[in-house]
Amino acid sequence: MVQNVNSTYTGGGVAEILSRLVPLLGELGLEAKWSVVQGTEAFFTVTKKMHNALHGRQDGLTPGDYSLFMETSDRHLEELELRGDIFYIHDPQPIGLVRRKKELGGNWVWRCHVDVSNPDMAVWDFLRGFVDQYDAAVFSAPQFSRELPVRQFLIAPSIDPLSDKNRDLPQDFIDSVLRKYRVPQDKPLVTQISRFDYLKDPVGLIEAFRLVKRSIDCRLVLAGGTATDDPESDKVLAEVQERASGDPDIHILLVPPQSDLEINALQRASTVVVQKSLKEGFGLTVAEALWKAKPVVASAVGGIPLQVKHRWTGLLSHGVEGTAYDIKRILANPELAKSLGDNGREHVRQNFLITRHLREYLLLFLSLAYKEDVVYL
Amino acid sequence: MTAVNDWLAVHWLDVLVPFSVLFASLVVLLWVRRRIAHWLDHWARRTRWPGDDILYHAARWPSLLWIALISIYLGLETSTLPGSWHMPATRSLWTVFMFSLAYSFVGVSSGLLRLYGDRLHIPAHVTRGVSVAVSVLVLFVAVLTAMDLWGAPIGPLLLAMGLMAIAVGVALRDILPGLLEALHINTTGYIKAGDYIKLETGEQGYVLDVGWTNTRVKALDESIVMVPNVKLARTTVVNYGRPLKKAIKPFRFSSRTHLKELTGLKAKDLYELADMLKKVPEAVVYYHTHHFLEEHHYLSPEPPNDFAVWVTDVLGDEVLGERLAAVDTFEFPTLGTLRERLGGIVEEHLAQPCEHRHATEGREFYFIKSVSFITPTPYVAYDLRELTEALRKLPVGSLYFHVFESRLRLGRSRNDFSAWIGDELGEQQLAEQMAHLDPYQYTLEELRSQLIRLIEKRIK
Repeated sequence: MVQNVNSTYTGGGVAEILSRLVPLLGELGLEAKWSVVQGTEAFFTVTKKMHNALHGRQDGLTPGDYSLFMETSDRHLEELELRGDIFYIHDPQPIGLVRRKKELGGNWVWRCHVDVSNPDMAVWDFLRGFVDQYDAAVFSAPQFSRELPVRQFLIAPSIDPLSDKNRDLPQDFIDSVLRKYRVPQDKPLVTQISRFDYLKDPVGLIEAFRLVKRSIDCRLVLAGGTATDDPESDKVLAEVQERASGDPDIHILLVPPQSDLEINALQRASTVVVQKSLKEGFGLTVAEALWKAKPVVASAVGGIPLQVKHRWTGLLSHGVEGTAYDIKRILANPELAKSLGDNGREHVRQNFLITRHLREYLLLFLSLAYKEDVVYL
Repeated sequence: MTAVNDWLAVHWLDVLVPFSVLFASLVVLLWVRRRIAHWLDHWARRTRWPGDDILYHAARWPSLLWIALISIYLGLETSTLPGSWHMPATRSLWTVFMFSLAYSFVGVSSGLLRLYGDRLHIPAHVTRGVSVAVSVLVLFVAVLTAMDLWGAPIGPLLLAMGLMAIAVGVALRDILPGLLEALHINTTGYIKAGDYIKLETGEQGYVLDVGWTNTRVKALDESIVMVPNVKLARTTVVNYGRPLKKAIKPFRFSSRTHLKELTGLKAKDLYELADMLKKVPEAVVYYHTHHFLEEHHYLSPEPPNDFAVWVTDVLGDEVLGERLAAVDTFEFPTLGTLRERLGGIVEEHLAQPCEHRHATEGREFYFIKSVSFITPTPYVAYDLRELTEALRKLPVGSLYFHVFESRLRLGRSRNDFSAWIGDELGEQQLAEQMAHLDPYQYTLEELRSQLIRLIEKRIK
């Protein structure tokens, strides 16, 4: 039996992946369970600080924050019913559950969805105390790994091509979504789909867009939602709305949860999809856009370079000016846009669909039993 | 006695002419028979169809009777016998001829039924039954003809016979088409036991036998497919002919999938890269020289190794990048020698006086290890044809394993296909061709086509 634990059932890539993978594991005959740790708003404020700190931001966690984290973690130990042969713990929020390893036995895997390539070392050292107790750790990109006493695996997340967010849509529906959000189709659309989060750099994208507008007339769509484990998003949304105010070509869309079809339609309506993140665990929105054969301009951070092979499956940029330059290249060159889009879709088909993810989950479970580099089954 | 002598003295010519005609005909016809028999015997020996022997033997002895009958008939025709004697004599000759012909026909039909009964695996009692039925029918026809000849009424008998034929036809309506098709297949020889056939509808395998209603085909997965003869005759069938040499030890296809294990090791410049290249496990060298091929096999037929890409794109050293990219992985028999070559190039470059750059933070070279999981597949091949058919269906992971991984990572001198074809089938020329095929020059789908093309060329 495989027990997955994270901190939210809705919002964000982790919940989305688990909602797809857990039933599929069941279909394959594995008993798979998904539990969520509960927490107060104060706890999630601390874990958001941790999240930012792991991404390199100095949010200054206080001793009180660590105490609150440990108190909540202790409560999780008591409250959460844990049972299984493999415990698959996602991200820092439930990381402390590994303290029941001796009592429960089994294999324990920590799945880190966060970009920990350049973390605040104080927070990382705090988490290391837990990470080292696991049997294995899983990261989304090679630069997140560091020398650890446990085996580390690289497993990229995935998308489900049959889900509402990725399936084909009729043009009428796409048009109706644009009408609903009052986005005219008179100019090329530059779109970023992301939670309103500083690390997604929506403000930086607005700056890049204004550079593009100097030479090519187009519209910018910034669309996203919020997650229950991210108390910061309202603040970011307000700041983005303020920066965009007065520009009729910038559309800030707060898309409610469970609006996968609308997100899908916005991506399909786009001329270019951008992911101008400062840090990124993996960036599933990039895979979603590539799957729709859209040309993508994305920052070379986190797991994005795994998806965007520069000049093959998209364009990688490193700043506001670079992003603007790449968007202009694509808008001015439809043939390049098509070539990048076609290659991008094939790249996702080969490497980032849920079937590959499922296979690697199974291989990971096998790896817990086999230590060799070549395993004959 | 005197009366006879007197009669002969007057009518000696009436006796001499018919007997002369009779004996002359006998002599001539026996000579002609001998010539024909000699020619037929010669023809029957040359052909492989055993049916001609049956025809020859069925006509061999009755033909003497037919010669006698013809000679007597000619004698009668030249004689001066009165009409009251002539008519019964002629009818008697025709009657004897009719029954001798029936005897020969029964012999031929029985012989052919035995022959095709064996080929079609029809049970002996069924063949015997059909043979008796045919004999009765032929005899019946002969009797009817004889009766007609002597002026007896045959209408009621014909009616009874027609009804019987309808009854037999209704009883055999399901079997008869298949049986006829089986006879057709056997007669034409287009499909024989042991042939490898492929039907338009997808069924394929080796023909075990052509039965009287179905043909049994053994598929590659050892299952037996019963193909109705009627279907076989009405669909497009590709016959690949007789099987090729079968190996005692079959080729069992495996497939391979892999997991990426992070080592936590990284290099920020060429010094660290050269140093790490000496230390990391061979599974790391394997990953960084092959993962582009696995993940982007649809894009580039000649994938660059990760070291070359990093040196060019991140360190901006295009000269070294080009040298690393030019390392032909196919030339190296082991990962150890490949590692030495890559490390050697980096060290040679470091020995030259030039500026060496560092990667910015986050763009270092991260060493990743490939962990392979090798699983059996249901595909098995005993000969080249089965190998080709399996190659068409295999997942690319299996192709990848037998061509790339087995040779370099598992330290086998040749790819698995080449080794098996040479060692187990003794096809040394084909084995050499497959060993010399540089798989790094193709996408995996192109490689699949190349391997199939080579084998098919040999088969044809």
